[in-house]
Amino acid sequence: MKKSKVVGMGLAAFMLMTTTVLAGCSSGKEAKDTSTETSGEVVWWGWTPGSPTNEKYIEAFNKEYPDIKVTWKQTSIDAYDAALKPALANGKGVDAFQVSAGSGNGGIQVFGGQAIDLTDAVKKAVGDDFKDKLNEASISTMTVNGQLKALGVGTVYSGNLWINQDLFDKYDVKIPTNLDEWKLACEIFEKNGIYGFVQGAGQGAFNIDTFHAIADNVNPGTFTKATRGEVQWTDDSIVKALELWKKLFDDGIMQEGALGLQQYPEANNLFMSQKAAMVMMGSWYTSNALPDTMKSSIESAASKAEPFTMIPINFPDIAGTGNTGSMFGDLDYSTAVSAKSSNTKAATTFAVWLGTSQSGQQIIADSLNVVPSLKSATPDWDNVTLVNPEKQNDPIKAYLANAMNSGDNPRFGGINADMNQALMDVLAGVAGGTIKPANGADQLAKTQADSE
Amino acid sequence: MKKNKTLGSTMTNGLPWILPAFIFVAGLIYYSIFYTFDLSTLDWNGLDPIQTNVGMSNYDKALSDWIFWKAIKNTVVFFLVTFVIQNFLGFIFAAILHSNVKLATLHKCLIFIPTILAPATMAPVFRLLFSPQGMLQDLFDALHLGITVDWLAQPNSALFILMIVTIWQFTGMSFILYYAAMSQIDKEMLEASHLDGAGKFRTLWSIVLPNCQSTTVSLAMLGIIGSLKTFDVPYLITTGGPNHATEFLGTYIFKQGIRQSHLGYAAAISVLLLILAICGAILISRMNKGGEK
Repeated sequence: MKKSKVVGMGLAAFMLMTTTVLAGCSSGKEAKDTSTETSGEVVWWGWTPGSPTNEKYIEAFNKEYPDIKVTWKQTSIDAYDAALKPALANGKGVDAFQVSAGSGNGGIQVFGGQAIDLTDAVKKAVGDDFKDKLNEASISTMTVNGQLKALGVGTVYSGNLWINQDLFDKYDVKIPTNLDEWKLACEIFEKNGIYGFVQGAGQGAFNIDTFHAIADNVNPGTFTKATRGEVQWTDDSIVKALELWKKLFDDGIMQEGALGLQQYPEANNLFMSQKAAMVMMGSWYTSNALPDTMKSSIESAASKAEPFTMIPINFPDIAGTGNTGSMFGDLDYSTAVSAKSSNTKAATTFAVWLGTSQSGQQIIADSLNVVPSLKSATPDWDNVTLVNPEKQNDPIKAYLANAMNSGDNPRFGGINADMNQALMDVLAGVAGGTIKPANGADQLAKTQADSE
Repeated sequence: MKKNKTLGSTMTNGLPWILPAFIFVAGLIYYSIFYTFDLSTLDWNGLDPIQTNVGMSNYDKALSDWIFWKAIKNTVVFFLVTFVIQNFLGFIFAAILHSNVKLATLHKCLIFIPTILAPATMAPVFRLLFSPQGMLQDLFDALHLGITVDWLAQPNSALFILMIVTIWQFTGMSFILYYAAMSQIDKEMLEASHLDGAGKFRTLWSIVLPNCQSTTVSLAMLGIIGSLKTFDVPYLITTGGPNHATEFLGTYIFKQGIRQSHLGYAAAISVLLLILAICGAILISRMNKGGEK
């Protein structure tokens, strides 16, 4: 009896110890920094822009810092948060990591607590007037509780369509500027066995882009004001925008089965393989105008098509208001340094180089993937050769200029995670006919009130 | 006194044998369950050092959340349909392959192979198969049937596509278990039924099926627990959409816990899932005991 008691107590003690040890596993301590500002091994986590662009950034970085080895670790957009959270909590294998503004993946509000303050490093590299030299959003959206938690690499904008100009020329289709022209263009392409417009409406974040563009077409600024609580989601403009969103599906502009399709890879693949003539993508798509990047994208789409002429156009004036050309954007991604990294100094060197140095930002500018954070870095058009410079150069230059002048119109920066989900739910419901536009607006207003 | 002596003897002689498994189960699995329950009382994003205790309010929230109930409804429908069709097919295949079928081993392999294929491998294939740009659409177009394969985009049909995929994948499991169960049936019993004039279908219904009852019960338990835990197929094929039409508890827990960083709420739904799984297993077990009586 006595013996069994002792064994039982021993077991209980062992279990308690086990659970205590396991509990302890989840609270990692900051590791000792074994790197220097010019040497170390940095594992850089992220989701964008992907090969071969990231490798080019690292190659350029290593020309200046040959003793810092950077390893790029990419996950898909959807898997990023799930993969990064345990890695950061564990404190191993993550030195630098991408974060974003707002409610998308890698949100700074969620992950900022795991990053070090980069203010001093930026001051040292750029000077005390660094705020004047960098894009305002790069600083403001990455500052949490007064600490600069990440350095913006560049900004992306949305609100436009990309079209395959070669297909428009081949079938003699007028570039759509309003709802009727858009419908007609889609009909002509459909008759020729090509999707007119394609959207992966099963991937909700891109639906928010399209809806934002419609809302800005109905009444510029209403969407942003609604996200800030300055206008109710039940405002007539929002309800009208929801009705027009539904109309895109009812009028056959959205391809059949759009709600079952993902924007990436499916809609993207259809456009890249020249099976669709129009797609709703933003400034990140500009890099596909570069021959090498386009070839890579076409191959990823399992297509043997040749590179083609793609150009950005304004979102058609489907509301008939004349309000066109609106663009909205925020930092695509920023680089943060893990507080638990054992390569903090080397990772800081990399983050600062990528986000603030002339050489780092120039290669960002020339990749056309994002609009750089450093104001003095702009694409070197003498060195940047597009697939069809004659037809693409002017529209793309004008497009990027328009994007940079879009003003205070954030893409996801003002939308919290709950509103993001509510928008995706309502847009899918309205498109599928299970939610009426007015009820959808009520649902958005309720979520906004709850989340506040 | 004697009882205590026996217990002490068991503790001394048997304990070392079960100790590794006991420590693993008690120390890890039960720790995880209690830790999840603890999490379910918090408002926490999973990384922030600040954790706010909200008591049982995450449970209140779940019980008034229409998506939670939608996930429950989907789970029930999913279980009933897949369980009936999957086991019917598995039972029939097992019965057929117990007769003298040519190339029986090949047939067994063909039926069982889908079970061992990873959903992550098969999901893109099914997405393509059931998309308007897919093989099925090409076939319908070639036959001029005028059918548009946009079933994954329709709330009413998307769940049935997931059921088809699941039935395709797990019929092999039902088949193999029924096949093994049928091998245990006394041949004399089958011969006796034959001598009594029972036909093949009567023998299947009155002799074989009752003798496979324990297998059916096991499959029901596995089916309930599997349905409650369903994640990979809906997440990879429909991501729970459109508009939560194919949401399951697993996919909803993932979205709440990871995408929306409501770790406490996700933990509360996980605890409810655990309770439902235990209740389901107990229910099936009791029904089985009732049937045996």
